[in-house]
Amino acid sequence: MPDPVLKLQAIVKRFGNVTAVDRVDLAIERGEFFALLGPSGSGKTTLLRIIAGLERPDEGRVEIGGREVTRLPPYARHIGMVFQNFLLFPHKTAAENIVFPLRMQRLSRADRDQRLAWAMRLMRLEGLEGRYPNELSGGQQQRVALARGLISRPALLLLDEPLANLDRELRSEMEVEIRRYQKELEIPFVYVTHNQEEALTMSDRIAVMRNGQFEQVGAKTEIYTSPATAFVAGFVGHANRFEARLVELAGDCARIEWKGNSMLVPRPRDADPGAPIQFSIKYEDLEVARAVNGFDPARRNWLSGRLRDVIFKGQTANYIVVLEDGSDIVVSGAPHGLDLRPSDAVVVHWPVTRGACFRI
Amino acid sequence: MRTEARSRVDLAALGGGALLILLYVFLYAPIFYVIYTSFAEDIVWPFPPSFSLSSYEDLFASSLYAKALSNSVILGIGAAVLSTILATGGAIGILRYRSRWRGMAFFLFLAPLFVADLLIGISTLAFNARVLGLPGNLYSAIAANAIPGTSFAFLIILSQLVRYDWAMDEAAMVFGAGPVRCFAEITLPTIWPSLLGAFLISFILAFNNLEISFYNLGAIPTLPSVAWGSLRFGLGPELFALAALVNFGVFAIFAVMYLLMRYRILSFGYRGR
Amino acid sequence: MSGLKQRRRWLDLTHRGNVRFALLAGPGAVFILIALLFPLLSIVVFSFWRTESYELYADWNLNNYRLLLGEPAYRIFFSRSLITAALVSVGCLLLAWPAAYFIAKHGGRYRLLLVLLLAAPFFTGVILRITGLQGLFGPIGVINMGLGILGMNPVEALMYTPFAAGIGLVYLYVPFIVTAIYLSLVNFNFELLEVAKINGARPWRAFIEITWPLNWIGTVIGLVLVFIPCLASAVTQRFLGGTQATSFGMSLSLQFGETGTWALGSAMGVFLFVSSLLAILAAGRSIDLKRGGFTGRLQE
Repeated sequence: MPDPVLKLQAIVKRFGNVTAVDRVDLAIERGEFFALLGPSGSGKTTLLRIIAGLERPDEGRVEIGGREVTRLPPYARHIGMVFQNFLLFPHKTAAENIVFPLRMQRLSRADRDQRLAWAMRLMRLEGLEGRYPNELSGGQQQRVALARGLISRPALLLLDEPLANLDRELRSEMEVEIRRYQKELEIPFVYVTHNQEEALTMSDRIAVMRNGQFEQVGAKTEIYTSPATAFVAGFVGHANRFEARLVELAGDCARIEWKGNSMLVPRPRDADPGAPIQFSIKYEDLEVARAVNGFDPARRNWLSGRLRDVIFKGQTANYIVVLEDGSDIVVSGAPHGLDLRPSDAVVVHWPVTRGACFRI
Repeated sequence: MRTEARSRVDLAALGGGALLILLYVFLYAPIFYVIYTSFAEDIVWPFPPSFSLSSYEDLFASSLYAKALSNSVILGIGAAVLSTILATGGAIGILRYRSRWRGMAFFLFLAPLFVADLLIGISTLAFNARVLGLPGNLYSAIAANAIPGTSFAFLIILSQLVRYDWAMDEAAMVFGAGPVRCFAEITLPTIWPSLLGAFLISFILAFNNLEISFYNLGAIPTLPSVAWGSLRFGLGPELFALAALVNFGVFAIFAVMYLLMRYRILSFGYRGR
Repeated sequence: MSGLKQRRRWLDLTHRGNVRFALLAGPGAVFILIALLFPLLSIVVFSFWRTESYELYADWNLNNYRLLLGEPAYRIFFSRSLITAALVSVGCLLLAWPAAYFIAKHGGRYRLLLVLLLAAPFFTGVILRITGLQGLFGPIGVINMGLGILGMNPVEALMYTPFAAGIGLVYLYVPFIVTAIYLSLVNFNFELLEVAKINGARPWRAFIEITWPLNWIGTVIGLVLVFIPCLASAVTQRFLGGTQATSFGMSLSLQFGETGTWALGSAMGVFLFVSSLLAILAAGRSIDLKRGGFTGRLQE
């Protein structure tokens, strides 16, 4: 295994009584697109700032490219960064902003011009060299910020929620572009976001962070399909959650009881019969059908209720079903496949192998 | 309905503009009177107009006024340099770094605003003479004038610096700029108009300060103290001439500033709204 | 080894910002501490001493204060100064708000120039400006002589009266308050007014509900900048005010000038300082940082 580009060892950072980062270890490989995903206050931005050198960890060690940089200031680390609100220097033109890192490295003018031309082409910014940041659109500012981050071919590019201030359409466009640059340049990206869709679209690996610790680190498909904790199951993807009681264990499955309904679900990792557990299942793992008498498919769980509303989302639709006890359950499916109308009696059903179960 | 609201807003703006013009007239009328009088034969009742350059001839013939002017300029520049440097450091330190002394420092930087010039004058006089045993001199006058100067400079710089995004410095540091480079390349170009404003204001206040300088300078002449001293025998016409010349210089600087702004050569920090 | 350790601790300190804070804000703070507070303390001390034929003697007594509080003349001087300062402050406020608002809102890229234009009169000394005012308003000034030529009576109020002194003070200090309010307004988000108007507030209501409270701190600073020097002013009253305008400041400067009674003068200085402080505290009580829209980092 080659040396990781970034290595964090037992990083701890406290602000007063709050431990923002709590004994975090991490290794990021060359060419990897790594996402730090977590709700606000989870410590992901602090961790990023520690990597950048903008905060100093109370404990632990930071290595970039095999060199210990824990106590080095940011300007000695040779990294790039894209900030949340871009932080373009308002008194410098787009071109001056982009070549700023090169000037700091004392590159010759000829080299700078050559790199600038390269970056402008890569980011499709040709012709905007002389514009000031307030004369650029949001997307252009974003590209300038990216170009500034990438132009010196840093060992590592850090991105702090760079798409948070863009509108939805532009955001999905930039998601694709950012991933393209990353794959072309093979510079490892560490991408902080609270937006799971961004993380899932762009990254190779994801760390889900909570209360200063990693809940789960893994390939994005793994994070999505087999969450390790109830928190990850709830945070990644859109899931229905049931607080239920474990009745019995049966091979790979477990029988649980929820509000009088008995269901077969995947076996939780460590729970004994009688324990309270949380079962979470993603919207798209569920199916909805018109209720017919005697519906009882094999190896499937089912709950009956009444359709309340259909939220049309374009390629899919969310069917909101009110169960008999009044609670809501959401099913995601094809928008036109079913001829269901609000207040129709329906059943929600799913294979017993779907979903995930955790002790609480 | 819409046009009515619009016209009312314009009316308010018009009223504000008219008042501002009246304010400028009020502020400049006495100054134009002084300039006008400097060209008159009789400074007590300069009507009907009678053009004469005798005030200017007297002014250039006398060495006292040259000395007073140069002392005033030295005093102004000294106090302005001191004020601007201290205030810049103070404003950056207080806005940027958490420290438990921050509130204390903030209070200290503003404290001189709460003390009248007269009090600063007499108390520094009393302190210098009785505690330190020093006679008044230009240095003590510079220091004393820099007291309120620092406060004014601090207020001016602070009011622009609160809008400054310190994350900008972090961005520059990530891209390889050390603290000094960072200040020179990022912070300074963004805040220099306020530094210039702070320098100008503290210069002007010290240049023509009467009450602080008077008690600190003893026999050393500055423009205001010469004016004060000559009052007993009626103001010398040379003073009118000198004030007129100073104002010509000021107006020339403003004209240049206006042209720079008009043709967008320099925006003095203005970047649209 | 220990050198390295020390260096590390130094780095840690700089990182936390304490050392940088001290390096940046320290010199100014110390300068003001020494150059302002020490002299003020020295006059507090002198105010308990005694002067005799222009010399200070360190025998501690309260006679200066007794004289100051007992002699009706000083009471009249002080209340006169106080009323003048209050009225001048209000006058300046009424003039300054619309002017500052206009510059901030409509000044465009000439805003800085317009503000500096307010400061430029200071290039002409106080005495000359007051002489200029006299030349316009005085008994043989342009206005009254002009009225005389037209066969009208001169405006008595402009001739050596406390009112004339008041106009002089407004003239001298109005630029300060305009600048203070302007500096507050340029940091004010005018879009908030649009929000208020969309929600049904008429312009004046939006002003009272939004603009005024959010710029109150700047306004108070402006008022202090006018009130404090007016309370202490001497020169203006002396030249424009006539015999009925002798101010506390005039009397105070006399103690340090012609009569040379420094101890009494010091007591008057202390009295002036304490009253200024009380006025500022009163003004400060009206400031609620949270409701003043103060979102700067100072609050942290």
